[in-house]
Amino acid sequence: MTQRPSASLEQGSALSPQLKRLKLGTAGLKRAEEAGGGPESGPGPGELCPPGSVSMHRTDRIAPGTGISLNLPRLQVSELGSATSGQEEKIKIYVPGTVVIFHLRRVGAIWNSLVRAWEAIKLFNKFKSIRNSTGDVIEFHGPEGTGKTEMLYHLIARCIIPKAEGGLEVEVMFVDTDYHFDMLRLVTILENRLVQGTEEMIKGCLGRLFLVSCSSSTQLLLTLYSLENLFCAHPSLCVLLLDSLSAFYWIDRSNGGESLTLQEMNLKKCANFLEKLVTQHHLILFATTQTLMQKSANSAESFLPLKLPHETDTDYRPYLCKSWQQMVTHRIFFSKQCNSGNSKGFTVVSCHLKRNQIVKRPFSVAECGVQF
Amino acid sequence: MVVLQAGLCPGLTEEMLQLLRANGIRTVVDFVSSDLEDVAQKCSLSYKALVAVRRVLLAQFSAFPANGADLYEELKSSTAILPTGSPSLDQLLDSGLYTGELTELVGAPGSGKTQVCLGIAASVSLGLKQHVLFLDSTGGFTASRLYQILQAQTEDEEEQLEALQRVQVVRVFNIYELLGALQELRDRLSQQAVSSVGPLKVVLLDSVSAVIYPLLGGRQSEGLALMMQLSRELKTLAREFSLAVVVTNQVTRDSSTGQLKPALGRSWSFVPSTRVLLESKEASWERACTQRAASLAKSPRQVRLPGSIPWECRDLALAPVGVGQDPASQGGHWRGACAPWLDAAEEKSICSQQRGLVFIGRINEWHHFQSRSLCSWCWSRSPDGVWAVRVLWKWL
Repeated sequence: MTQRPSASLEQGSALSPQLKRLKLGTAGLKRAEEAGGGPESGPGPGELCPPGSVSMHRTDRIAPGTGISLNLPRLQVSELGSATSGQEEKIKIYVPGTVVIFHLRRVGAIWNSLVRAWEAIKLFNKFKSIRNSTGDVIEFHGPEGTGKTEMLYHLIARCIIPKAEGGLEVEVMFVDTDYHFDMLRLVTILENRLVQGTEEMIKGCLGRLFLVSCSSSTQLLLTLYSLENLFCAHPSLCVLLLDSLSAFYWIDRSNGGESLTLQEMNLKKCANFLEKLVTQHHLILFATTQTLMQKSANSAESFLPLKLPHETDTDYRPYLCKSWQQMVTHRIFFSKQCNSGNSKGFTVVSCHLKRNQIVKRPFSVAECGVQF
Repeated sequence: MVVLQAGLCPGLTEEMLQLLRANGIRTVVDFVSSDLEDVAQKCSLSYKALVAVRRVLLAQFSAFPANGADLYEELKSSTAILPTGSPSLDQLLDSGLYTGELTELVGAPGSGKTQVCLGIAASVSLGLKQHVLFLDSTGGFTASRLYQILQAQTEDEEEQLEALQRVQVVRVFNIYELLGALQELRDRLSQQAVSSVGPLKVVLLDSVSAVIYPLLGGRQSEGLALMMQLSRELKTLAREFSLAVVVTNQVTRDSSTGQLKPALGRSWSFVPSTRVLLESKEASWERACTQRAASLAKSPRQVRLPGSIPWECRDLALAPVGVGQDPASQGGHWRGACAPWLDAAEEKSICSQQRGLVFIGRINEWHHFQSRSLCSWCWSRSPDGVWAVRVLWKWL
């Protein structure tokens, strides 16, 4: 393992006055500014850092072979505590996606935990059109009985199963607004996916899942505020699932009276705060919405531009507030095929809104969950 | 929208309230979403006090996240599966009605929805000795029919009377009466008063379309909001107190495809977790009674939806036709249902937290159980003496 003595020490001395003694918490993260540094400065991955210094590096293509290229932006490493050479020091790395505190000597561990945290973001391997950037917001849209909640179970199972069994071993927060979450079904899926489905293993997996139920849109908003602390305390919590953002639609609409702004106010606040959470803590948000409205036959009424080809085959009519619609980066439509001859009974159409890419995949629901 | 008031939480004094109100912060949501540093400067209040108040308000008004493992433990002990009185319908529903969920029975008028509900009430109150709440909104409940069903299941008059006493009937003819009855039920259950109404397991609502139809229509969204409010109330009752809620609904024809679909529109269709479609087919002239069929339209668990099962409405209420199975031969171990368990349970309470049937395994699988899941009777009957139980179960 090579060590770079002089270059990194100079940079270390340049950086440490700026980033000394950062405290934990989002306030500290906000004030950490990205210091300058050329590419390939400091020791590369897997190399030891000399004590008392900071290192930075930049990489491309963390995940070869998956067809997804990731750009890891520059890391910032800051010192926590006094610099005492010869002892292990705790330093904190601020990377979009995680906050990791580790000991200075084990830079190999830095690499592993970064890879792990970043891998947590690439969940949809099959959807090659979905690129990974920080703060993805994915909306599942579809009529009832088309497998949206089932797809969420598939995602949860994928996330909480340990790495040894093929999962991602990250923590997941599930916000349930319409009480559709069935723990027994999730346990069945886990039992079928794990090689040995023992109680302890399942409980270990379930320990990575956090569940919260909300009974009104006001409570949803307040719960999101109180979850902020949870996100800070658990750095590996990077997936947020929201089952049914549209569960309160009619109740809010009736409570708001005549004015559209009042009707949409709660949902707008929720959407804005979700955006803030997603960008600050670098989460991925999957939200389900229900097809409550019928698509009008008059094409002049549709809000989306007509050039999107999916308009013609999906029954989508936007009814949630504008700030939510603008926040969504991918919209995935679920539909069910009525023909009994087809073994794959459900279809998923994924649209990347910024890039107008459409991917269509059939899937079926089996005992072990969703199968593509 | 909870308005900030003095005494809402410790630390929120009247003076603080006046200052906050002067700056436009009136409700809890305003307070929580505002930037506390700004507020501290503008209102000249202490930042620490504001942070403390914010923390208390959030703890009070927001929902608390639970860990998945703890929730699973809790659910394992509190979820029960209730038999519907017809073994083939039980198979359709994946062994019965699950508590904590809302099941919907849809069918045209005269297809037998009320009969199925009466059958469920009879089987739960007679077989499991649990209490049942029947909310009748159509006037279709007749006690004599329930008595007939009970008479066909047991000869003992004492038992029949006791079973009848366990079924409570409330007549509700509009949405407000219904919401009031549900609120009363909630109060009663949360107080856990050991009164004449013992442990409640099933709430049957016959029918939900009769109370909701008068509200829908027109351009107002109030009817839909009331419908969603009702659905929330039913689901929270089911979840919190681990009840099985069964509602009946009517069908309409889809204008474009001509197929039958449940009434009350799209918004209601998301609400139930399980849906059973009851149809009555016109019988051939030789048979005296009409053939009815039940098929599963939506289920959170069944991945291979079994085909429709035929059943007849006779004195035995939902006797299976053409299936030829009786519960004793079905095999399997159901905590609370095998004969030796029932005998022993009368002598002493083995499982003190028994709340209905608890499903313990899937077909042809061996499960290793902790002793708390099985009573000692079922345990000792395991075939090869290993601490395991094999569940036998037949699909249609």
